[in-house]
Amino acid sequence: MGTTRLTSVEELKRWQEECADRWQSRGVQVRVCGGTGCNAKGSLSVQAALAEAAAQLEAEGRGFTVKVTGCHGLCERGPIVTIHPGDILYQNVREEHVPQIVRETVLGGHVVESLLAEVTPGGAKVTSANELPFYSRQRRVVLQHNGLIDPSSIEDYVAVGGYQALAKALTLMTPEQVIEEVRVAGLRGRGGGGFPTARKWLSCREAKGEPKYVICNGDEGDPGAFMDRSIMEGNPHSVIEGMIIGAYAIGAHHGYIYVRNEYPLAVIRLREGLEAAREHGLLGDNILGSGFSFDILINRGGGAFVCGESTALMASLEGRPGEPRAKYVHTVEVGLHGKPTCLNNVETWANVPAIIANGGEWFASIGTEGSKGTKVFSLVGKVRNTGLVEVPMGMTLREIVFDIGGGIPDDRAFKAVQTGGPSGGCLPADCLDAPVDFDELTKLGSMMGSGGLIVMDEDTCMVNVARYFLNFLQEESCGKCTPCREGLPQMRRILDRICTGEGREDDLDLLLYLCDILEDGALCALGSTAVNPVRSTIRYFRDEYMEHIAEKYCRAHECRGLFSYQILAEKCTGCMRCLRECPQHAITGERRQVHTIEQAKCVQCGVCFDVCRFSAVVKTRPAIVRVPDAVSEAGPD
Amino acid sequence: MLTVTINGKSYPAREGATVLEVARAVGIRIPTLCHHPAIEPYGACRLCLVEVSARGRRRMVTACSYPVQDGLEVFTETERVSRAREGIVQLLLARAPGSKALQALADSLGVKEARFEAVTRAERDCILCGLCVNVCRERIGAAAISFAGRGATRQVAAPFLEPPEACVGCGACAEVCPVGTIELRWLEDSVEVLPFGARLPLARCRECGEPLGALPWYDHVRRRLAERSLDLPYLCHSCKRRLSATAAKAASLADSRVASVRAGLP
Repeated sequence: MGTTRLTSVEELKRWQEECADRWQSRGVQVRVCGGTGCNAKGSLSVQAALAEAAAQLEAEGRGFTVKVTGCHGLCERGPIVTIHPGDILYQNVREEHVPQIVRETVLGGHVVESLLAEVTPGGAKVTSANELPFYSRQRRVVLQHNGLIDPSSIEDYVAVGGYQALAKALTLMTPEQVIEEVRVAGLRGRGGGGFPTARKWLSCREAKGEPKYVICNGDEGDPGAFMDRSIMEGNPHSVIEGMIIGAYAIGAHHGYIYVRNEYPLAVIRLREGLEAAREHGLLGDNILGSGFSFDILINRGGGAFVCGESTALMASLEGRPGEPRAKYVHTVEVGLHGKPTCLNNVETWANVPAIIANGGEWFASIGTEGSKGTKVFSLVGKVRNTGLVEVPMGMTLREIVFDIGGGIPDDRAFKAVQTGGPSGGCLPADCLDAPVDFDELTKLGSMMGSGGLIVMDEDTCMVNVARYFLNFLQEESCGKCTPCREGLPQMRRILDRICTGEGREDDLDLLLYLCDILEDGALCALGSTAVNPVRSTIRYFRDEYMEHIAEKYCRAHECRGLFSYQILAEKCTGCMRCLRECPQHAITGERRQVHTIEQAKCVQCGVCFDVCRFSAVVKTRPAIVRVPDAVSEAGPD
Repeated sequence: MLTVTINGKSYPAREGATVLEVARAVGIRIPTLCHHPAIEPYGACRLCLVEVSARGRRRMVTACSYPVQDGLEVFTETERVSRAREGIVQLLLARAPGSKALQALADSLGVKEARFEAVTRAERDCILCGLCVNVCRERIGAAAISFAGRGATRQVAAPFLEPPEACVGCGACAEVCPVGTIELRWLEDSVEVLPFGARLPLARCRECGEPLGALPWYDHVRRRLAERSLDLPYLCHSCKRRLSATAAKAASLADSRVASVRAGLP
């Protein structure tokens, strides 16, 4: 029925039945992941080839449906293709696999063995996603329909029950009842703060001033994080529906989605979604004939990390530089344009339809005492199954990293997992049994943040990790307040010198002193939480810092100058390869004689290590402890 | 009226006042750099951090922008406050080691030796407090300068790092600068605002030629006064006094002549 404007809940119900019928009668559906990860690996050419094949078969009356969906989660093995019926999952699909898939699976009804996923590397192959621990251990609420529906089709969203929660809220519930339902659910802000959502809504509803605004914070900017991105790209209507319900509860008629311009696909999907919702009377005046009016505008962010901070985001929305201000008067009272404003993160909004549809008690039955529901994480770093996962609150980090993530690749040992993005803390193996829970993670010196999970193995230097994140935050600091603007470069300077072997005995005290000043003094959370990577690595990996400072040794063999390359006599064949490649001419030896590295000449460039075909070059403790002067004498840098 | 406790003593406070206003009114010293009574609180330098206890929670807030509530407890001299204050001065000293004003502030707070090396670049010991930017936008309405760059590379500048075209040469920025980074230089026929490099022609007294200030500034004020039907002539103080005295005298002479004629006197 296309673009007919729905004027009542009954019309929505009828349309939903139509959409669901069409969904059922589609026959074979081939779903190609169009998420950013699979997209980068060429999934769109797979989709094009499939569509072409489908068009050819259509002429013969044997057509099938090809659909581009949002992120399926298993990015490591993308492009991912799933086929219904049969719930078949194919991994690493390339364009050349398409004829075989069409011939054998679509037409023949058989699975293509070679494209199936393995449970463990080299292990048994499984047909469907649910047989993989990566999927079976997850609990998907927000990502429920990611990978299933076409994100640019409102019909798909409606077919799987979309906008029914909105219909329920508008017709069967008062705004207060909606807020009460969210309170019972125990939903807490998914953007990092973990503030109770219902309390925020209620304060905004009760605040004096008109108009009121709702804002969706889609300014996700943590390195390695793509939770919100995947939701906006994969199921934009879930965010839009959540916002409409929230606006109804709060009494707002204007909404904004602030999404960073580096997420072009998310911007497109959201635009399409808003347009479709407007055409169907789900946005705009008199939504579903309820008398409630609300519309949403998209505002693209320029990519400043600090604009994810609510007051900076609002300043940016107003057209001013994205700088935070003190929140002594909360934004629910004085927010955008000085009016009551309710800002929630993408994932928070996306949880709302499920809560209203299934009830707050259902939602509260998932999770822990203080943290209800699920949390989406982007699982990255030294882990086998890189990707997007959604787990019930309370699941341990061990389960996420090892059961879902498949553990550490290349037989390396686990060292740490960083939760909460650049301002999160690095937790060691001892903390792996900690549950994913707002309060538990904070107690351990880290935080939930918006859901980044970066896994590190034994080859990761924790001092260097702290330095990396601090550098990121220093570059993203807006520079308004003194502690953040001046303190972060000072901390970075200290970490620099520790990593180059020039650390001083009192450097850790100085770092902790600066941590105190930032924590107590910084204007916004970017500055006050920037200390987490430093504090947590000092707390859990102090030995590594001390080795860098006192012994000039980096056990992860990452910090140049704080380890050395040695050639193992028993493995060296005297092939002269490293000798020839060494840019410093630091390697000596004759053909078929064991080579040696002249340490005074070596600059640790690692070329010998990379080119040796016999694993004869190894990294060890520094052969000579370099004092700063000796470094400059050793040769050009 | 509200009641606020500062360092254990109770004081009355009016609704909407900030902690800093209440404290200063009763003579409690809280150091500030980015605060000016004529400008909206900005809360950037963080020097005025104090501890407050409200609803059972103790936390650090900036006195310049924290609004008082009834029963609020404020602590301005705790160990935590001193540590933060000292740390902030230390960090600023590393940015602006040549600033005498900052050095004097450090001395008054008992900060002895500098703990940090200079790692961020400071132009003329600017501490980026923002007073110049804010006074120019809020009070003058020119918005000739603003912050450019981010984080450690932040600086006060005009668009494209060129001399500010919108500068009227009022000198308010130099007036509010707490560390003496901004100055006005009076030249033969113009006034220069340093370090921004704006050079403005002078308005001159139409009688004696005495400089009155920057011409754009003078005209800016003339326009503002004209809106209220007030006239500001191009006259210096002494010429204005002399002219009005002459005018008054002429007027009274004229008046007395009229009176004489009316009375039939010669």
